[in-house]
Amino acid sequence: MGDFFGNLALGFGVALTPTNLGFAFVGCLVGTLVGVLPGIGPVATVAMLLPLTFYLEPVSGLIMLAGIFYGAQYGGSTTAILVNMPGETSSVVTCIDGHQMARNGRAGAALAVAALGSFFAGCFATLLIALFSPPLAKVGQSFGAPEYFSLMVLGLIAAVVLAHGSIIKAVAMVLLGLLLGLVGTDGNTGGARFTFGATILSAGIGFVPLAIGVFGLGEVIANLISPQHRRDLLTNKISGLWLTWEEFRQAWPASVRGTIIGSLLGVLPGGGATLSAFAGYVLEKKLARDPSRFGKGAIEGVAGPESANNAGAQTSFIPMLTLGIPGNAVMALMIGALTIHGIQPGPQVMTERPALFWGMVASMWLGNLMLVVINLPLIGMWVQLLKVPYRMLYLAILLFCAIGVYTLNNNAFEVILTALFGVLGYVLLRLECEPAPMLLGFILGPLMEENLRRAMRISSGDPMIFINRPISLGLLIAAALLLLIVALPAIRGKREEVFQEG
Amino acid sequence: MIRLMLTALVCLVLGSSAQAQDRFPSKPIKIILPYGAGSATDIITRIMCEQLRQILAQSCVVENKPGAFGIIAIEEMARARPDGYTLQVGNVSTNAITPVLFKDKLTINYERDVVAISRLADLPTFLMATTRNFPPKTLAEFIAYAKQRPAKLKYATPGAGSFPHYDMEILSQRAGIAMEAIHIKAGPPGFINDMSLGDIHVAYMNVATSAPQIKAGTLRAIVTTTDKRLADYPDVPTMAEAGYPGVGTTLWAGLFAPAATPPAVLEMLHKAVVQALRSPQVLDAYTKQNIRSGPSGSLAEAKTWLQGEIASWQKITKDIKIDLAD
Repeated sequence: MGDFFGNLALGFGVALTPTNLGFAFVGCLVGTLVGVLPGIGPVATVAMLLPLTFYLEPVSGLIMLAGIFYGAQYGGSTTAILVNMPGETSSVVTCIDGHQMARNGRAGAALAVAALGSFFAGCFATLLIALFSPPLAKVGQSFGAPEYFSLMVLGLIAAVVLAHGSIIKAVAMVLLGLLLGLVGTDGNTGGARFTFGATILSAGIGFVPLAIGVFGLGEVIANLISPQHRRDLLTNKISGLWLTWEEFRQAWPASVRGTIIGSLLGVLPGGGATLSAFAGYVLEKKLARDPSRFGKGAIEGVAGPESANNAGAQTSFIPMLTLGIPGNAVMALMIGALTIHGIQPGPQVMTERPALFWGMVASMWLGNLMLVVINLPLIGMWVQLLKVPYRMLYLAILLFCAIGVYTLNNNAFEVILTALFGVLGYVLLRLECEPAPMLLGFILGPLMEENLRRAMRISSGDPMIFINRPISLGLLIAAALLLLIVALPAIRGKREEVFQEG
Repeated sequence: MIRLMLTALVCLVLGSSAQAQDRFPSKPIKIILPYGAGSATDIITRIMCEQLRQILAQSCVVENKPGAFGIIAIEEMARARPDGYTLQVGNVSTNAITPVLFKDKLTINYERDVVAISRLADLPTFLMATTRNFPPKTLAEFIAYAKQRPAKLKYATPGAGSFPHYDMEILSQRAGIAMEAIHIKAGPPGFINDMSLGDIHVAYMNVATSAPQIKAGTLRAIVTTTDKRLADYPDVPTMAEAGYPGVGTTLWAGLFAPAATPPAVLEMLHKAVVQALRSPQVLDAYTKQNIRSGPSGSLAEAKTWLQGEIASWQKITKDIKIDLAD
């Protein structure tokens, strides 16, 4: 334990130098901006700033890039709440209840709970990294293809719980998402699927055009079609910028649960952080005494997933730092930034470069503190944004969406695709089909397919591999139990009764 | 008065455009890349770009346009105005195998419309094996081990028809063994974990990705596909030393331009790139990443090199039949 404090002291010694504090601040600020602008993601930003880090001390460069990465998680929730526009995969579920809160005049509270929940999660996850990096990495490492597949099965069944309407519609939306996720080149055979001969579709449909189209543009169309007074409903009754005591009481347990689940899922190499926010939301909805509040502005629906995605973003550094396995594109870029300085990420980093490792861990905590400092005063300003008449606001939204989607791959086709998904989003809204389960199907579908096929190849075609491996079996049993709960007529009856009341 | 102003304006416009032709480059150069940010080819390009910016006194912008085996990036470059401002960096997969294997999918005539400015660099490749449940330490032991377990060993590739797929099939054919391929789109970052669990036994991996795993002891380098042993890994023999000369591809990256680009501009770009690749800054950054700088000596040499690569892959894809669904 003395060792632990010694290490932390070393880390803060590195992170608290004026230079490194400055880089952490720049990273957090840029990250927040990048997160707020829909579509402009941390991957593109980090790639653009990568050459700059050649001239910096490795630890300074890493601190700045890390700041951008988790800063974007913070900023992404702002647009999700204010204009129903998820900029990152992790803010999709924040749209559901966060935007409803804004519609109810509680935008300030939603933003505050997102910032505070993220801060709490960031602190906890940083502590976790400092204390348990090596053993946690081992947990992540024990996940092979069969374990991932079973985890995805559990995730998809849980997705049905995301919706707050008819189960049939939720299942249909998950399936639609799976189908959209299949578009592109089959990784195993190189064959094209659903591309209609268009080369441009051979890389598949991107997440950003789909999410911005279905959530954001769909919402814009719906708002424009509805009469003037409904549009302005948003702006008329902003009641207080801060959390009420009652809201705080509801939010903090959700935040704690989200943090724990996010920290665990973030450790899984590849896709773990994406699952965190979804898992956080599902858990809150399952535990709530009155699940019908979800989808109508339940504060737990913001606190849970926002804490989960930030915790996941932090712990996704564990496989990168301790195993040298990048969990996502940003981590791959950071490995690039490190190797340029001759540092090989891997188990030896902690012992060979303690100042770098602990400096980075300490900077994560400081970065989270900075983000709260940057973001809390901004809440007032963001909420003022809602007072802009919608006929002007929506033009700005559309412009930023178009720019964001275009700069992602410099591809005009994706802008057209976004517009088409906007129409789909509006149709779904009118049909009362919820887009969140569709997006989960879209994200998980390709991962699930790849891991299923990989597992079957590994076992030479023997499906028993999913049952013979204990972790996989455990996850499948959990999925079966969840299915049973959803399917049980008695419980279903109660579920629908609840919805009719709401 | 108005006429005078207009004349001045016209002069200004004409003058500036004439100047633009005189002094290449007068605006930023765009390099299209068929891989995502953070990939090996991306890092090779960005390090070179940074130096190119200082040599040409113009910024150099990397645009990542992944997908469709590089077809999207190659076609955009080939169709761009041939003025030297739109270039493409590609590797052996996108710019030597794709033009052979997916000739029908390309809507341009690759050999007529694309010209190589220079070879840039290469990244040595290892044949890697897991240490979890796989005792062989040398290529001979590995082949003997595989012969006792026909079609039982699994190997990973980044996709059907990728060069690691061909390379493993060539090795299997020469050695008389049979193994099962598992294609994982994400490449090594997507399958290192499967290998350390012992679910997948062998794979070709570049040295940058392999290094941390070798150091941690989860994976072992069996042979390198380079012509000489690597300075950092003196114990790892070459394919030729292990008895299989000519097997295995080294991942190279090259810089390409539309064929109609003026020869003077191509010449200037070639010189600048060679200067960048020989600068201490680039050499230093590359060495740390285990990347070997390797520019072509002249434009003519770059042309012969690309023709040779295409011819070699035409032969390989004819000799080794890989079933590719369309």
